[in-house]
Parts: sequence; C-alpha cells; structure tokens
Amino acid sequence: MIEVNNLSFARGNTLIYKNVNFKIRPGELLLIQGANGVGKTTLLSNIANFIDPLEGSITYNNLVIDNNIASESFLYIGENNFAHDSLTLNQNIEYWLSIHNVKFNNSIKNKSVNYFFQKLNLDKKFYQLSFGQKKKLQLLLLMLVNKPVWILDDPLSGLDDRTIINLNTLFEKKLENKGIIILTSHQNITLNNYKTLKLI
Amino acid sequence: MIKNFFKLISIEFQLMLKGSVFSFVLYCLLIISCAIFSLSLKYESIGINAPLCFLYVMIFFISLFKVEKIYSLNFDEAKVHQYILSPFSLEIIVFVKNMMIYLNMIIFFFIFSPLILIILNIDLSYLLKINILLALSLLSIIFISSMTASITISKNNRLSLTSILTLPLFVPILIFSMAITDLIDFNTGRMYLFFVAYFLLNLAFSPLLTSFALKKLSV
Repeated sequence: MIEVNNLSFARGNTLIYKNVNFKIRPGELLLIQGANGVGKTTLLSNIANFIDPLEGSITYNNLVIDNNIASESFLYIGENNFAHDSLTLNQNIEYWLSIHNVKFNNSIKNKSVNYFFQKLNLDKKFYQLSFGQKKKLQLLLLMLVNKPVWILDDPLSGLDDRTIINLNTLFEKKLENKGIIILTSHQNITLNNYKTLKLI
Repeated sequence: MIKNFFKLISIEFQLMLKGSVFSFVLYCLLIISCAIFSLSLKYESIGINAPLCFLYVMIFFISLFKVEKIYSLNFDEAKVHQYILSPFSLEIIVFVKNMMIYLNMIIFFFIFSPLILIILNIDLSYLLKINILLALSLLSIIFISSMTASITISKNNRLSLTSILTLPLFVPILIFSMAITDLIDFNTGRMYLFFVAYFLLNLAFSPLLTSFALKKLSV
C-alpha cells in the first residue's frame, strides 16, 4: 500500500501543492488530474523518490520510500522519451531490460512487441519512429519489467485508439494481479473502478 | 545480474562506437590546430615542451567537449529517471560511461598520434612515451570532466556556474605531465605512478559526485 500524508512541495519560493493525502491499496488505480502546472508530474516525481518533498511523508508497505525500495518496486514511465536515438529498437529494448536487470526472453519480447505494434521492424533506428511509436516503445517496459507499482505520467497522450484499448486491458490485468497504478492523464480512462485525485 | 551487466557494457560499447564520428571531427580539429601552431612557430627553435603543452591543452578541451556532449545526450531527465530506478547504482553506470568515453578518446589518439607528432615536429622516438603519458592522464581528465559535465547540464543556470569549481582539479595533471617531459627521455617511472594514484583518487569520488549531481541537479 502507498500512503501519502500531508505532502507539500515547493520549487524555490513557489509552493506547488500543499497537504496532499491519499492511500492506494494493491489492486487499485489512482488517476491524478488537474490543470497544467498544478504539479501532477512533480507529485509523481515525489512518489518515485526522484525529488524530496518540502513536508510530509510517502510510505510503501509502511516503509519510507528510499532508493532501494523505489528501484525494487517502482516502474516509472515519464512524458519524455528515454530511448537512445542512435540505437535500433532491438538494441534499445535489450539495453533498458539490462538496466532494469530483466532476464532477456526473446519470445516474451516478441509477444509484447506484437501486442503494441502489431507489425514493426525491430532493426529500425529509434529516431525513425513516429511520436506515437516512440511512446509505445516506452510502454513496452510495462510488459517486460515486472515491478508491483507503475507510475505513469500521461501514458495515453499520442496513442491511437487501438493502443489505448490495449493499454487499458494491460491496466486491468495489472490490477487483477494486485499491482498498484498511479497515473496522470488529461483523458478519462475506460476502467470501471478507479480513484481520482484532483490537484488544484 | 552479472550477465545483464555485461550486456549493458556491450551495448554501451556500441553506443560509444556510434559516437565515434564526433570524436573523429574533434581529432580533425586537433590536427588543424596543431598545424596552425606549428606553422606559426616555423622560424622558431622550440623543444618538445611547447608543442606537448599545446597538445595537452587541446586534448584537455577535446575531452571536455566529448564528455559534455555524451552527458547531455545520455543523462537527460528521462534517462536519469530510469537509471535511478535501476538495480545498478547510478555510480556504476557513470563509471561504465566514463570508461567507454576514455576508450573512444584513447583509441583515436593512438591512431592519430603519429600524424600529430609529425605535425608538431616532435621526434617519433617519443611516440610510445607520449602515448603512455596521455593514456594514464586521460583517465583522470575524463573522470574530472564527468563531474564538470554533470553540473553543467543542470537545469538551474546559476548552479551550472559551479562547474568552474572542478576546473582546478585538472591543474595537477597538466603540471605533472609537463614536469615529466622536462626530464630527459621521460625515464621517470615513479612520476608515471602519480597519474595512477590521481586516477584512483578520482575513481573514489568522481562517480559518487557525478551521480549525486545528476540526481539532484538534472531531475
């Protein structure tokens, strides 16, 4: 369970948000919503332990989140792309799987690629992909890296309808397996049951 | 984990090879600047020290450019997020990157060094000694440059100015390198040990400081 208590964050002299509180249990999804600039991405960065809050605490299974807990349990997919432009898709997949210390399995990789891309030449250079395809490559990690908590910053932007449906199915499976999903999005997701947090 | 670490090294090596075009351009610029230096002093009788000093300063700048370029490409915010959540510590990733940059730079230097020495009018009998001297000192130069680069790519412009603080760390390398060339035929094994010791010192704190700066300044 992730528990956030009285969380505040300031950048310089500007208070971004104050006294944010929520709890997410295994099998639950939290959708963080709000206008641009209210601190949705910053809140995700706080939860993933990239930046320290001004006040308040964030715990995962009653332990304060530190680097070890974050690297063992959290998978973060941000807005910006992390792949290397000069590498091929295959090399990028191998590289990021080895960074996350995932045992490489060709058949699982091919299944995951087919799930998101249907048909794609993996020997293409990353920079040759479209915006949506680049986004999909990031989301491939969700299928290939097994971590209990997904932290996703606007995962639906730039995706076609079919991929959004596939992604929602993936979310459902994750929640069935008692995973936790925290995401920000300006779009509504099609799942039946999820919590929302509106930042003002 | 060890298997993945070696896979990581092999892909980093491929990334390094793909970045060789930039190194090649930098070494071409080095050759041009060496040629200008030699032409401007063609009527002067100069020993080995002035051209070597020039070479050292240029290599120092080239390394700084190279490390800055690699760091701004490979340590943007999105990548640093993934590295932080990796089971491998960021220090290890920084170390691997630095070693790949070093390999890239030194291999190019080995290839270009005969031409550079001819242009600078340095006797080719010094080739091996200059290569050893540079191979040893470049290790420290790269590791110190990585600290400078990690601060420079900070999002906060005011903080990036603090990268100037790392520049004095280069001074001992330049001073000792010149001191070695002062001694006849570079026959000073003990002085070469300085570079090994200085590298070990850098190895102890450079990846730590670099990764600290990357975590705190670029995220």
